[in-house]
Amino acid sequence: MSLYQLQKLIYHVNRDEAQRERYRQNPAEFIKGYDLTEQEAAAALNVDVRALYTLGVHSLLLRPFTLLHKVSNEDYAKALAGLE
Amino acid sequence: MAVVFACAASHAPGITAWTEAAPKEQADKIIGSYHKLQAMLDATKPDALLAISVEHWANFFLNQMPTFCIGRADHYDGPVEEWLRISKSRIPGDSQLSAELLDGCLEAGFDLSFSDELLFDHATMLPIHFLTPRMDIPVVPLILNTLTPPMPSPKRCYALGRVLGETLEKHSKRIAIVATGGLSHWPGEAKHGKINIPFDKRFLDILTTGDRSQLAGYTHEEINVEAGSGGHEIRTWITLAGAVPDWKATLLAYEPVVPWATGCGLVTFSRS
Repeated sequence: MSLYQLQKLIYHVNRDEAQRERYRQNPAEFIKGYDLTEQEAAAALNVDVRALYTLGVHSLLLRPFTLLHKVSNEDYAKALAGLE
Repeated sequence: MAVVFACAASHAPGITAWTEAAPKEQADKIIGSYHKLQAMLDATKPDALLAISVEHWANFFLNQMPTFCIGRADHYDGPVEEWLRISKSRIPGDSQLSAELLDGCLEAGFDLSFSDELLFDHATMLPIHFLTPRMDIPVVPLILNTLTPPMPSPKRCYALGRVLGETLEKHSKRIAIVATGGLSHWPGEAKHGKINIPFDKRFLDILTTGDRSQLAGYTHEEINVEAGSGGHEIRTWITLAGAVPDWKATLLAYEPVVPWATGCGLVTFSRS
């Protein structure tokens, strides 16, 4: 597991306009630029909120990332239902 | 001239970003209290504002995470958030004062990081928006790591506060200090929306009526469990308490605002 790389990907998309644009153009290609496990890459590509949270992505990296994908407050909360 | 004004306040982004979501009475109380602080600050005519603040991945990532970082720039741009409903602004800095504070801390054994370029997120921008709406008072930001462990201990923060206070008391400028953050909140987590009212009230009680050095006794674990990942920001309040240890703290407002998912508090300090 390479949580650092996963969080770095999200941090770049959240904070760097040029990188965000590259990501938007081709998310799968962009994700390949980071050293991720298959599970992490899938979670990132699918914007799987629950999986990303469970993998340990910091909530204040995760929520802005999901906001870029227009995940509502309701859907975000639903995705985390039952977790600690 | 020394420290002329001190306050601590929550920076819940909902205060500006989704004001209307909160019950009007609560929103009016919090925003009204911010306006009171602004009037008090204005009356003291400060030359500069030390903002004891935090950030949320605006500047620093895990490749380089300073425990304490002083901004040493001539200006700072913010907010980084498009949705905060605070206009993008350029805030003047006071690089001379920053350098003097940095020297004072290093002399006293606090090895702070510094940065000549920082962006402000809601943590610093929201209080500035209310306290200095003309954004013409030079700001020195001191960013504490309350984002990702290991964080500076409350004891260490209180001790840093003592050094800051002693350095500023000798200074020729009139300095206002604001500590921003807290109180209990669990932003973006499974427990998002939870507020621990008893924790918040006990913290405010110790600050306003108790032995203030008790604040140095809080542990990371206690804050984590009782006040949430967002609650770690109370370290800025603890730092301020160390900077003005003999000043009387008065509670202006405490409101647990559920739609803002934060226990919001505002406290002003005055020389006894």
